[in-house]
Order: sequence, then structure tokens, then C-alpha cells
Amino acid sequence: MKPSNKAPLRKPKKKSNPLKAAKVEYIDYKDTNLLRKFISDRGKIRARRVTGVTVQQQRQLAKAIKNAREMALLPYTSSAR
Amino acid sequence: MRRYEMMVILDPDLEERTVAPSLDTFLNVVRQSGGNVDNVDIWGRRRLAYEIQKKSDGIYAVIDMTCEPAAVKELDRQLNLNESVLRTKVLRPDAK
Repeated sequence: MKPSNKAPLRKPKKKSNPLKAAKVEYIDYKDTNLLRKFISDRGKIRARRVTGVTVQQQRQLAKAIKNAREMALLPYTSSAR
Repeated sequence: MRRYEMMVILDPDLEERTVAPSLDTFLNVVRQSGGNVDNVDIWGRRRLAYEIQKKSDGIYAVIDMTCEPAAVKELDRQLNLNESVLRTKVLRPDAK
């Protein structure tokens, strides 16, 4: 099938999985350097379409980030600006 | 018996060298109930991402242990009663 010329559907480039690249198996809430790559500069968790990880990994990531926040390893909010 | 991982944030005003022995006395609860303390990792003083009880630093310690659920529960209760403990977290690393 050829993509129609009239409505060019942009095929987003598939992101390489950063966790797979870093060979991370268990997402640990203590590994703040790793988790920091998955939060924005305001401290929000980045969406999966941005991070490019699998659904399962994103869920584990979110859990790890939330655990790290509870233990003051990561900020709930950054007061940048 | 299960594996547990406990993280404790202690008051930064404590002397860092007194941390290990005082944690050890708490861990007697685990030992007396037949559990085993596998590893105690004291990270030392660390900046908190946000203030807890008006303190911007904390002494972090991570304890790995194998014991009965009741023993961790009791340990957690006793730690939280102590004034110099800012926060605790118990996790089972092999859950699921």
C-alpha cells in the first residue's frame, strides 16, 4: 500500500528504547541518575511517547519515580521558574 | 521468610559514626525473631529533594534482610516512634 498524497500521515520515527540500551533489568527507585532521565526539568514524569520505553517498563518507571519521591530522592516539583 | 529492603532517612544532626550501632540495636528485633540481616548500607549525608520536618539534609541507610512479615512490621513501627528517624520505606524487591 502506498501512502496517499492528499493526507500525508506522518509516521513518527520509532524511538530506541533507552532502558534496553542501558541494559537495565530491574528499575530501582534508588538509581536516581537513571530515573532523572525520565522526568522533565519541572519534575514531571515524561510520557511514554517521549521516553520510548515499553508499556510495562513505563509502569515500573512511574512506580520507581514515585517511590523515589517519597524518600526525597527526587523532587515532586522543581522550583525552576 | 521473605526478603525485604528498608530505606531509612535519619536526622542529619546525628553523628554519622553513631548511626551504624544505633541502627544495629533496632535490627535486633529482626534477629530475635529468627530473621537475618543480610546487608546494611549507610549512604551517609545526602541532600533531600525537598524539606522534611524543616530539614534539608538526611542520613540515608538501606537495609537488606530476610525475615517474617511481623518482624519488619515491628521494626518499622519502632523506627517511626524514634524522633531521629525522618522517614522509612519497606519494599520487597522480588515482589510479583
